[in-house]
Amino acid sequence: MPFARRVVRSHSITGDPARLRVVDPEGYADWEAVYRDNIDRLYRLMYARVGNRPDAEDLTSEVFRTALGPLRLASSKGEVRSYLLTTAQTVLASHWRRTLGLPVTSIDPESDLASLAEPSKTEDPSDAPQRAGKILAALPDRYRRILELRFLEACTIKEAAQAMNVSVSNAKVLQHRALRMAAKAGLELEQ
Amino acid sequence: MSDRRLFSFIDALVAGRRPGAFKADPEDAEVLRTAIALRAARPGDATPDEQFVSDLYQSLAEQANSSPAANVHPLRMRRARTVLVAVAASVALIGGTFVATESFDQSPATNAAVGVPHRDALRTGTFETPKGEVLGQIVAYNGHPSWVYMNVGVSQSTGTVMCMLQLKDGSIVAAGTIEIHGGTGELSKSIPVDIHRLRGAQLFSSTGAVLASATFA
Repeated sequence: MPFARRVVRSHSITGDPARLRVVDPEGYADWEAVYRDNIDRLYRLMYARVGNRPDAEDLTSEVFRTALGPLRLASSKGEVRSYLLTTAQTVLASHWRRTLGLPVTSIDPESDLASLAEPSKTEDPSDAPQRAGKILAALPDRYRRILELRFLEACTIKEAAQAMNVSVSNAKVLQHRALRMAAKAGLELEQ
Repeated sequence: MSDRRLFSFIDALVAGRRPGAFKADPEDAEVLRTAIALRAARPGDATPDEQFVSDLYQSLAEQANSSPAANVHPLRMRRARTVLVAVAASVALIGGTFVATESFDQSPATNAAVGVPHRDALRTGTFETPKGEVLGQIVAYNGHPSWVYMNVGVSQSTGTVMCMLQLKDGSIVAAGTIEIHGGTGELSKSIPVDIHRLRGAQLFSSTGAVLASATFA
């Protein structure tokens, strides 16, 4: 890419006075630009790895707190994103070590780089629904239904039991067995 | 026993709550991974909340305006590890030859960045007592030379704590002695080994008792 310099106006989220700064178009003008450009997608990535909003928010916060302080803005956007992902990898690994004692999910700075890459959109499509759909499609009807009720339709175990006309205990057993089979199906899909 | 805690974890996931911690069995990992994947497919929570984005921005702005020295004060251990990695990463970002015995109390003054640390350049660990209390953090950097940096917070106000590094082949390398002042201490030192050969680190009291252990991520 040809090197060029430009003057950009940096807008603060909180409405601070705008500032003018000469920057490399391949890089970020300031930490605010790094934040604005990556917060959505980094949160989405973290959410896909932990499956709940409270942890996803905490871990996303930890990544930015860790990474932004020492960040040197002379780095390119790609390098900054790679750095964010490397930080996210460590933060997520520590999270699982603290909470479950084993790495349930992980971030690979190389293969996950696409999740932070251009184009910058707030509605980046996730492959989570497609992947979930494939896993569910591989299950027997009752197993698929209990997981749909619980994970996609947000039913409590009691509501799911009523919908399937079984006892709560049976619904728990169904869910447990369905998840075990879904885990196998997920592994087979990856292979 | 594990099934009950597994169910509670999954129930929290389904309800959108923060799941509780428990010691998971390796055979649970794939089930948990599948549950997370299914939960992540539900529309809604995958988009960051506007209030969260705004609040985090405010918090980061305050962090950016605070002094670098304040950022590295090891009072809150969970945050300290975060800052520890940040400081270590910043050294790697600046590149060049780092004087490993230099204190990290001051942030590097230069802005002349030469690159971002490679994903394998840093390894981190948390010192935990046998009871699971966090005692400190350790960061290892792979370079020429490689080095480790660690900070600890202990109940004793003064004294020394010795750190030993454990290699994957079972051998032990002394990292050095940490001088404790006011209940905290830190140590940075070059090490003559590839950090990828490191398995963990242990802290010992002056009487030889194991205070805490860390496993590198």
